[in-house]
Amino acid sequence: MNITVPRVGSMQYMAQDLCERLGLGFVQTPEYTERTIERGVAIAPEFVCFPMKVLLGSAIESLEAGADTLVTVAGYGACRFNYFAEIQRRILEREGYRFQMVVFDSPRDSLGDFYRNLRVVLRSSSVHFPGLVRAMSLAVRKGWAYDEIGKRALAIRALEAEVGAVDAAIAECREILACAHTRLQIEEADKAIAERFDRVAVDEERPHIRVGITGEIMMSLEPYFNCDIERWLARNGAVMERSIYMSDLFTPRGRNPVSGRDDAEIGRVAMPYLGHEIGGHGQINVAAAADYARRGFDAILHFFPFTCLPEIIAKMVFTRLAQDFDTPILSVSIDEQTGRAGLQTRLEALIDLAWSRHDRKTQQKGSDPLCCI
Amino acid sequence: MRVGVPRALLYHHYGECWTSFLDAVGIEPVVTEATTSDTVVRGALLSDNETCLPVKVFAGHLLQLKENTDAVLVPRVVSQYDGMKACPKYLGLPDMARSFDPALPPVMAPLMDLADRRGRWAREWYQLARDTGASAHCADDAVKSLLRGLRGVEAQPQGFGDLTPQAPHQDREQEAADDSRSFTVGVAGHLYNVYDSRASLGMLGRIGQMGARIRTVDEVSRRDVRRQLKTLPRKIRWDFESRMVGAVLHWSRTRSVAGVIYVSSFACGPGSMIGALIEDQMNREDSVPLMSIILDEHSGEGGLITRIEAFLDMVRRSNEGASVAALRRGVAKR
Repeated sequence: MNITVPRVGSMQYMAQDLCERLGLGFVQTPEYTERTIERGVAIAPEFVCFPMKVLLGSAIESLEAGADTLVTVAGYGACRFNYFAEIQRRILEREGYRFQMVVFDSPRDSLGDFYRNLRVVLRSSSVHFPGLVRAMSLAVRKGWAYDEIGKRALAIRALEAEVGAVDAAIAECREILACAHTRLQIEEADKAIAERFDRVAVDEERPHIRVGITGEIMMSLEPYFNCDIERWLARNGAVMERSIYMSDLFTPRGRNPVSGRDDAEIGRVAMPYLGHEIGGHGQINVAAAADYARRGFDAILHFFPFTCLPEIIAKMVFTRLAQDFDTPILSVSIDEQTGRAGLQTRLEALIDLAWSRHDRKTQQKGSDPLCCI
Repeated sequence: MRVGVPRALLYHHYGECWTSFLDAVGIEPVVTEATTSDTVVRGALLSDNETCLPVKVFAGHLLQLKENTDAVLVPRVVSQYDGMKACPKYLGLPDMARSFDPALPPVMAPLMDLADRRGRWAREWYQLARDTGASAHCADDAVKSLLRGLRGVEAQPQGFGDLTPQAPHQDREQEAADDSRSFTVGVAGHLYNVYDSRASLGMLGRIGQMGARIRTVDEVSRRDVRRQLKTLPRKIRWDFESRMVGAVLHWSRTRSVAGVIYVSSFACGPGSMIGALIEDQMNREDSVPLMSIILDEHSGEGGLITRIEAFLDMVRRSNEGASVAALRRGVAKR
């Protein structure tokens, strides 16, 4: 059995780790390319959202790379993501691919289905149930550590004293993490990662702006879709924070994205702008944006796929949020037609705006610290 | 006090319950007029351009309430049926309504979660009634009759007459008299598109004029829908969409229609998924012909008429001869 999972953030990493622990075959989903998207768009229904088209394209590529089992998560949220897997299966079958599809819903939806799916995956593994639970928790734990590297890099990339220092730290930390297997080793790796990043020479005096990145998880995490926003923003002097990481979603309650807040608190933070959970990660993003704006970020970036249901609502709500806090928010909708040049121009405009706001703020700081306009 | 109720989206399901609730607590409900082209254009200007047509129509209706009301009622519909979820647009509708235009009257957004059998959400309606000055007794009665009314909506299929007093209704009467019409077409679409004669460009009326009997989703009973949905490998959790799929499968499997027209709006999320599902399932079953029509604010009547005509001609032909499937099998044999 050769398993493959969608390529979103640290999901590949966690799945690969889990498969190694369980002794299952794993096929890495190939990197996204223009060809992936073309192939996905060619067979996808016209009006489904962009991630579905991308996932179709990349499923084809993984199947061609030797995978025979597509494992994915779905859950019964309000967003159309809950039906992705079923449509994907139908389309790939129609196109004549032979494969097995295992769709994991949240165990809260149906424990029975969850267990049955596990049995399907475990059929070719020698590990039994208790071992599986341990392996899953360790894989997720490793996922946190992996995402932690990303978070730390994001926070200091713009300030690195010499070019490439952060990238070197990332590479080193990933190596440290790759050698960690037991819980103890992972915890040690955590510490080593923190230490390694503390050693990166940082130029604290360098003027910088603060930018929050929110949005649909695939568009905001995958550098292919957002034109490698991390590096681009860092080159333009922005210290960043991101609202959502893949490993956060695999944690049962309590350790959710927005700066370590739990579900209930996310609801409270988002409340003035969004009174209810709206499926997908809409509420998390609104909460994150409200949080960034309150903390005085200079700009907020919001990425979402064209016609994404929850993020469109978030986008409309952001107009009110931007007025209330006088924070520029740029919502970028991404699909197969998105051109890099167009996106670049819009980002540049946003960054210019953020810089001028930042400069005004620092100038006025001496006279009136409360005034930020 | 005058409270506006936009004639859009779920008004087409629960409108009467909402207005009678307002009446009961001594508030004058102001329901907007039927959608016009102007409504659509103004709504499309106001709302985000990636939202679906019904939300744009909703925005247009909301604008009409700007001057002459003290507040607008936009209930937050969390679920329409047991175990079901609503489309994210319904969930975020009050928040979207608040962000359309700062000059709009305040939005009253009581929760409506019909999946909750204990009706805990009714407390918000009670609170709303109390806040607007109704007595405890009056508010209690109003909430109770609201709950009763909503149960009534669920219990019986709505049919044409209840919802729109316009063209389709007349056609229906005409249709009863005129039995020479030879075939039936199922129109599967959201009520707020199908029954809004501007949004759907009078589709039902036109199909009727072209000589076909019409079946709509709300005429299919929950039981039939459930029976059909059981045959699908994955549950659909959007309530009305699941009914659409169930109804289409019911029609096509019992061959009670000669063709199915699937109506959805551009950027409709659930619609895009179940559209693909219906297409695939009907294709696998070698079923009746299917045409899907995507509506948006740019839809032109001319194009729509041509497409419906072409589709109905095809259905008529295949109906006169054998079914499409039988024709295809015949060709294969030869």
